[in-house]
Amino acid sequence: MSYYFTILSPSDAPLFNIAFGTSKSGGDGIARFRFPDSAQYMNQFVIHSSLDIVEEAQWMNGNMYLKHIDTYPPAAAYISAFLTPSGTRFLLLHQPPQPPSTSSTGGSSLLSSSFSGASSSRASSSSVAANPTSPQTEEAVRQFMNEVYENYVKTIMSPFYRQGMEIRSPVFRTKVTAAGRKWL
Amino acid sequence: MTSPGDAPPVKPPPSFSPTIPRVASKARYPEHHDSSPPLESDLVDPSISSTPSLPTATSELPIRSASPHARSLRSSTPQLARSTLVSPLDGRFDGSEDIRSLIIRSFSPAVGVYASEDTDNLVREKGFKHGFWELIRPFGENVPGKLVIRDSVGSSRGWEDYGVRFIDLAGRDWDIAGAGQESPGQVEEVLQRQLNSVFLDGPLTGPLRPKESVSYPLASPLYKLFLRRLLSAASATPHETFRHPVASVIAISSRNANPLESLRQLYADTSNGHRRLPDWAHPEYLRYYVLVHDEDRDDIAESTKLFDQMKRHFGLHCHLLRLRSSQCVSSDDDSVQTPLCEWLSPSEHLMGMGEKETLVDIDTDGPPYLFDSDVVAIKSLVRELVAQSVIPFMESRVAVWNDQVASRRRGISGRFMSMSRRWAGFGSSSRSSGISGGASGNYDTTRGFYKPDAPEAILRKMADFAFMLRDFKLAASTYELLRSDFGNDKAWRHHAGAHEMCAISTLLNPLPSPAKFKLEGIDQMIDTACYSYLTRCSDSTNALRCLTLAGELLKSRGGSATEDAARWTMRAMDQGLVGPVGQILFSERISACYASRTAPTGAKWGSRHRKAGMWSLLAADQWLKIGKPALASASLEEAERFYANVLDDGIFPMPEMQTFVDNLRHHVRVEYLESRGLDTGENQSAPLSSTVDTEETSEKLDKRNHRRSLMGLPAPLDPGGLALASPKGQGFDGNEDQPNDDFERA
Repeated sequence: MSYYFTILSPSDAPLFNIAFGTSKSGGDGIARFRFPDSAQYMNQFVIHSSLDIVEEAQWMNGNMYLKHIDTYPPAAAYISAFLTPSGTRFLLLHQPPQPPSTSSTGGSSLLSSSFSGASSSRASSSSVAANPTSPQTEEAVRQFMNEVYENYVKTIMSPFYRQGMEIRSPVFRTKVTAAGRKWL
Repeated sequence: MTSPGDAPPVKPPPSFSPTIPRVASKARYPEHHDSSPPLESDLVDPSISSTPSLPTATSELPIRSASPHARSLRSSTPQLARSTLVSPLDGRFDGSEDIRSLIIRSFSPAVGVYASEDTDNLVREKGFKHGFWELIRPFGENVPGKLVIRDSVGSSRGWEDYGVRFIDLAGRDWDIAGAGQESPGQVEEVLQRQLNSVFLDGPLTGPLRPKESVSYPLASPLYKLFLRRLLSAASATPHETFRHPVASVIAISSRNANPLESLRQLYADTSNGHRRLPDWAHPEYLRYYVLVHDEDRDDIAESTKLFDQMKRHFGLHCHLLRLRSSQCVSSDDDSVQTPLCEWLSPSEHLMGMGEKETLVDIDTDGPPYLFDSDVVAIKSLVRELVAQSVIPFMESRVAVWNDQVASRRRGISGRFMSMSRRWAGFGSSSRSSGISGGASGNYDTTRGFYKPDAPEAILRKMADFAFMLRDFKLAASTYELLRSDFGNDKAWRHHAGAHEMCAISTLLNPLPSPAKFKLEGIDQMIDTACYSYLTRCSDSTNALRCLTLAGELLKSRGGSATEDAARWTMRAMDQGLVGPVGQILFSERISACYASRTAPTGAKWGSRHRKAGMWSLLAADQWLKIGKPALASASLEEAERFYANVLDDGIFPMPEMQTFVDNLRHHVRVEYLESRGLDTGENQSAPLSSTVDTEETSEKLDKRNHRRSLMGLPAPLDPGGLALASPKGQGFDGNEDQPNDDFERA
């Protein structure tokens, strides 16, 4: 599972973004998107296009966490969204890894799965990584969003931060990475 | 008129100057909003839709056309005239109504043609080398005048655009046709050829052609061509009866020495001789006898006498067709060019293209010419055949089968007795009941079909008849009745077909409102149909047809259904059912689906401009990759129009997107100019790329200033950097210090 997390201002300007991979079930925390390396802009396109849905959902729904709102089927990318009271959008694109038949998931996991294939596949099917629309995933993303939100509020309360500025605090970035490692 | 030919020939294509179209589209935005026709207004090229072409076009409006500018555009755009195979039928309808009509017309009854040797010889003298069938085929596709069809409830409705498909019984090998489906690869090949034939001559005739010919509507005819070829791809198969002959024209000519005997012989051939239908097709169909009279060489009195004799023998289903046997050339006074066939199957199209290419060399391009009197005679033959024989025959078959088979079927299922069968329809009852229990035993598992007199086969035929008679309500309820039967019998292809047609006829049925649960049921059916086609029968052509039709019809429903439409279209792309050109067309189609989703009045949200823009951009990218910069330019412009609704100043907020779009724009521009024969080397670098550079850099500087002012300070040092930040921005020369890198690292 690979993740691309973006914070967008109410006027769609990006304030922060980070890409990371799952750290659960043996993941090494490095994002491996399905787009080829030359097409990493697709993440931003997919996120940007899902703003259509966010705009619609934010008026239909009283919650801050909008859950899974959009899908980009060609790359199996799923978008979850979170709204802050000031209208800032947190968008998380998550993309399950490609089926192992087409791409290897790494040498070590291949070795281990060769003899414990059944058990590992069962474990991965129940974990967050394999099933992006399951309730567990929704819950994990919610936890992640809440934690990021907490840190976000602390960050923007910094006296040197003005609204609409890009967030460049390294502390915030580590916090987000930690939250990603913890929940996703 | 504002034919693009009036435009100054050296005007660059719209996407060449990135700022101008945006400004224009900004200005156009309100106009686009209040008129809010779902799609076509978006597709229409702005330079034309905003011009005073409107009043002139309205005066020549056909009956059904909804949006005048699109029509005027179609009829006046030169590249349509160039791709003549596409053009002649495009002007009639418009927008989603157009596609709907196309879909409905694609399911038209098949009428076999079986002519005696002397008839074929007569027609060959006129220049049609495939004989009588080739002569009347194009005329069957559009029956002149209005046809009134009664549906099962007894209400009549007139149709302007009814047609039949003439199929050649003599040259048809049923067994092969049943087994060998035409592969979707052929459809793709057709597209490739069409693209090449339109654009191959690009560099040569380029300077002569007005530049507006690259405008967006080209994609739409191409897509329609794709749709048309896809829908005509199916040959006769056991699992559906659309291609089984409903009737058959048996023709002899006045030259025949022994007319009645040869008629009898022809009939015997089709009923139990070597022209018999295969085992899975219903053997009883209407025979229609035609006497072709040779005006130039034979005596009309004799022919009339013979015709009277025929009428006595065969009853009403007879027609006397008076043709001239001499060949008509284009210089003759009353010569009319034979219309082109709209519904060619992909393989025929491929063969036809080849033929045309060779013919062009010997200077007899196009189909043969006919005398005006011949055309009138053939048209009246077709009209009489369809209006007085075929349709009444089908109506009565539907009525009989509905009464005898369908009602008994419902009796067996044992829920609703005879009382409900006329009023409750079978829709509600059969859905809840279904045939419980196992296989009915009528399915021949080894050979893979139902015998034509089995109730399932008759029901299917009845549903198909109802569908072809455009009684979609009856068709939908009958397909629904069949779905579970086929499932129980494990007749998977039939199963898939019933699901597919059930979904399609429900979607075509105008009555039910697009209620949520209804759509969900349709989703389910489409899904099942695809699964059965693909996984159980590995029949990708039909799966593609199912998904495409579902997408188109859902799109024409509007509202939230458009998103389902986009989803199914994506599904078709995902499954790899279409080739590279098809992928691009589908991308454009998805963009159109999203574009047709309009915001609720007054609300700023609810539309799908960003998605539409993204898919258009992707399409532009792909057009560029397969070397069609003109089309890429059109798509790009389209994308910019969509994005103009959501972006301020056309600047993407996200840096990588902006880089990508700038790159794309640049490459489209360069390749387009290259393809138009401009020197790509030093010559170009001097005047052209200087303008390119100034435009691009000015934009960049704008953005950077903006960003700097936001950021205040340059980024702090972070020598490690993030691994993922590195690959971006490097492909773009001279931009290593782009803001996005700072941004990633911050």
